[in-house]
Amino acid sequence: MALLEKLHRRIVDMGLVPRIIALLPVISTLCALFGFISIAILPMDGQYRRTYISENALMPSQAYSYFRESEWNVLRGYRSQIEEMENMTSSERNNQMGSWLQEFGTKTAIYESQQYGETLYGVMHAPRGDGTEAMVLAIPWFNSDDEFNVGGAALGVSLARFFSRWPVWSKNIIVVFSENPRAALRSWVEAYHTSLDLTGGSIEAAVVLDYSSAEDFFEYVEISYDGLNGELPNLDLVNIAISITEHEGMKVSLHGLPYDQLANNDFWSRLKILSLGIRDWALSGVKNPHGNEAFSGWRIQSVTLKAHGHGGHDITTFGRIPEAMFRSINNLLEKFHQSFFFYLLLAPRQFVSISSYLPSAVAFSVAFAISSLNAFINNAYASISLFSEYNLVALLVWFISLVVSFIISQIFLLVPSVGLLMTISLATCFLPLVLSEKVHISEPLSYRLKNVAFLYFSLVSTSLLMINFAMALLIGSLAFPMTFIRTIVVGKSTEHEMGTKSHTSVKTESRDDLFEHHGDTVLEKAKKRQQLKNLLLLVLTNPFISITLFALVFDNEFHGFDIVNKLISAWLDLKCWNWFVLCIGWLPCWLLILASSFESRSVVVKSKEKQS
Amino acid sequence: MDSTGFKVALGCIAIRLAVICLFPSLQQQLDQSVEFSTPVTSFRSLQEGLYLLRNNIQVYNHGVVHHPPILVFFLSLFTSGTSISLIYAFIDGLIAYQLTKMTKVFKNLRVKSWLPGLLYAVNPLVLLSCISRSSIIFTNFFISSSLYCLLTEGNVILSSVMISVSGYLSLYSILLLIPLLGMLKNWRQRMFSVVVSALSLSILLLLSYTMSGKSWSFLSQVYGSAISFEKVFPNLGLWWYFFIEMFDTFIPFFKAVFNIFIVAFIAPFTLRYHKQPFYAFILCIGWIALTKPYPSLGDAGFFFSFLPFFAPLFGYLRYPIISALLFLHAIVLAPIFYHLWVVLGSGNSNFFYAISLVYALAIASILVDLNWAMLRIEYDNGVPNFKLKVTQI
Repeated sequence: MALLEKLHRRIVDMGLVPRIIALLPVISTLCALFGFISIAILPMDGQYRRTYISENALMPSQAYSYFRESEWNVLRGYRSQIEEMENMTSSERNNQMGSWLQEFGTKTAIYESQQYGETLYGVMHAPRGDGTEAMVLAIPWFNSDDEFNVGGAALGVSLARFFSRWPVWSKNIIVVFSENPRAALRSWVEAYHTSLDLTGGSIEAAVVLDYSSAEDFFEYVEISYDGLNGELPNLDLVNIAISITEHEGMKVSLHGLPYDQLANNDFWSRLKILSLGIRDWALSGVKNPHGNEAFSGWRIQSVTLKAHGHGGHDITTFGRIPEAMFRSINNLLEKFHQSFFFYLLLAPRQFVSISSYLPSAVAFSVAFAISSLNAFINNAYASISLFSEYNLVALLVWFISLVVSFIISQIFLLVPSVGLLMTISLATCFLPLVLSEKVHISEPLSYRLKNVAFLYFSLVSTSLLMINFAMALLIGSLAFPMTFIRTIVVGKSTEHEMGTKSHTSVKTESRDDLFEHHGDTVLEKAKKRQQLKNLLLLVLTNPFISITLFALVFDNEFHGFDIVNKLISAWLDLKCWNWFVLCIGWLPCWLLILASSFESRSVVVKSKEKQS
Repeated sequence: MDSTGFKVALGCIAIRLAVICLFPSLQQQLDQSVEFSTPVTSFRSLQEGLYLLRNNIQVYNHGVVHHPPILVFFLSLFTSGTSISLIYAFIDGLIAYQLTKMTKVFKNLRVKSWLPGLLYAVNPLVLLSCISRSSIIFTNFFISSSLYCLLTEGNVILSSVMISVSGYLSLYSILLLIPLLGMLKNWRQRMFSVVVSALSLSILLLLSYTMSGKSWSFLSQVYGSAISFEKVFPNLGLWWYFFIEMFDTFIPFFKAVFNIFIVAFIAPFTLRYHKQPFYAFILCIGWIALTKPYPSLGDAGFFFSFLPFFAPLFGYLRYPIISALLFLHAIVLAPIFYHLWVVLGSGNSNFFYAISLVYALAIASILVDLNWAMLRIEYDNGVPNFKLKVTQI
């Protein structure tokens, strides 16, 4: 404390305080820059760590895997039958599969959802355990690209048959055949925890199989692990999936990296996986789900294994991954808790933990907080009382914009008309320009609006930090240009010394005194320039426009205004609340900034006592 | 004169009723959140008590109900949920009214008289605490009534009775009797007040004794459980984490220490600020909100409702922005970290504990800053001189 006191006194003595206050906008930008840099240096040597299996009980690949050539014929037999199922109705398909599962003693049931169709599942009771825990092998009939999951289904049933002959299991094994890896699987998971009669205890882990070709051979395995709403499976599960896959000789791809890039491991490749990882993490659920997302929110660790390419490894090798994973998970005595729940992968075997990557998103949050502070104290109106009308009006406007945003979020859930939303968003950006002659707000109000807006955004981004880091980083960086929007002051303030602190237009104004005849045009020009700049920034930082642009530039999965539709359906189908983060977290802030960018008139502040 | 108070109170009630009507399920959600409901104040356990009472089952033999008998009896008179909501809203309205009236007593306060009441009405902490039907609102009401009786009417008897009722409802607020004594004029009044409070408290206890079927079991359930922190339950306070981690042999000792910690600061605050007794009283409210075993956001909200009375001090605060940001972040992050820990399982108890420490730090920094501000204005003899630099040695 004494040290702090001393430091504080030294800073005051050196006269740094006013300088620091004047530099607040720069500091804010520096903070944001720090956010970018601190995440960009993570792929450098020394910043990341090698992954390791933290839970000793897992022992991946320690036991010999027996799902080999002997099972191949069984698998082929099932596959040739399943190939004919593609055009069957789902209940025919499920009945056939159900009867196969029953042949080797699996209890099966069919969950019927009104909205999402039938899901077949079977429970194999553990020979050794007390049956309170389960592992899930999920096979969507059609995979995320809507291809018929022939290999996956054949693998699923032959693995189930293979597992049923083993006495080693201490956890129940549940095999699930859902229509798709999206809402159908999700609704089954929800039903499992709420309404189903046939259950097999709490699900510890889930593995989703995706092998959509009917061929015997494939090239490499893609592992997807991002859960909904910023959840990730325990790193141990991802680690055993990767280590088993590599142990069996296959290459692991993360975030859709193509085969020819899998061997790379340098700064740029790691940076690429890192950035793709953040993108996929933030948009998980909004992007086409792989299947593992369906298990989020129930304390289930899940990954999706997807086979890619032709030639190389045979299909039983792919089957050995879930086999060995189940053997590992079967060893667990406790829930997954040892390893990391918050991590970013830079390569299949390299990761950074939360302490390394969190500072970047914190920096964005701090940048917004500093901008808020800047709007509060870095102008002539800092001394206005805490209970002044401006503060109250600003809070009121904030509340109204919150309500408006909430209503918008609900309306577009009911009527998902993206064109309308985009038109409205774009049109409102022009309001300050169009109404520049008619509507004026007072200058202190403009600053207070900004103050509230940035404080709110900072709070939103802080609250997302832990729960959905990628989203916090994404909206933090996309919305940051908002802080560059300047208040435009028109009309001369009667007391000059009050208004000459900062901001371009005011500065030009004080220069006017020398060149009176040029004054007005210079002022007008500066104002126009600032208005156009504000307009551009407003358009860029509108949550809907911004996220659409982001998706178009950085993700080739989205076309046009697709992403807004997908955000909405992600909420409706999967309960992925990214839509609300945009609508209730970002939009109110943007609306406040929009309100603050109307032309403002300066107000003469009566000299009052200082309110620091 | 009265109309502002009535308007504020009506507004306060209207807001509460509107929120209850708009979000009918909010009550249950809040009642299950650790921030607003604690084992000793939650409406769930109160309902349990109502049920037991209505069915003539011993209320205090099951270790579930920690609400005092008279409160349980009083609420059992109302059967429908609507009437209970109305009572809660009405009591909050009364507090808002009392705040407004109290503002008028302080003549040289440059704050509009409706402001504290209005801030109370829209303060989300108090609002949500009221919606959650936490029984802390009754304690708060009697504390504010006690102040109200003394400040506006100079009624020592009523004021002492009120403070003893608040102590009856939740144990630690009886400590506020000490700063209340500081607000009285002379020793005769003080003795009188002590006697009146003791009398009314014993009447209340005797009444409870007869009401709970001539059994003293309620004493250990209502007060004993609070003092000995029987239910180690996560909350925003400083106690729970400490007692999870401790060896059993040390627990009684540290429970005593924690209790003494609460009591120890009350008298010094009162003595040091004997010239500003109202200020000492509020400081004590804040102190109890910080250190009590089962605090909720309702306590903090109530404490903050009195801060507008000290508007002249605001200029002296050294780090109001830091305190405010700390508090804001603590209350925003607390439910999230609890969710990470309990629902998602990706966090652990340390997350929530860390944020409850931030919360405590925020309240503590507000208290410390207020202390500084008051000492500073004392140094300036009541005439603000912000230019003067004073430092602590």
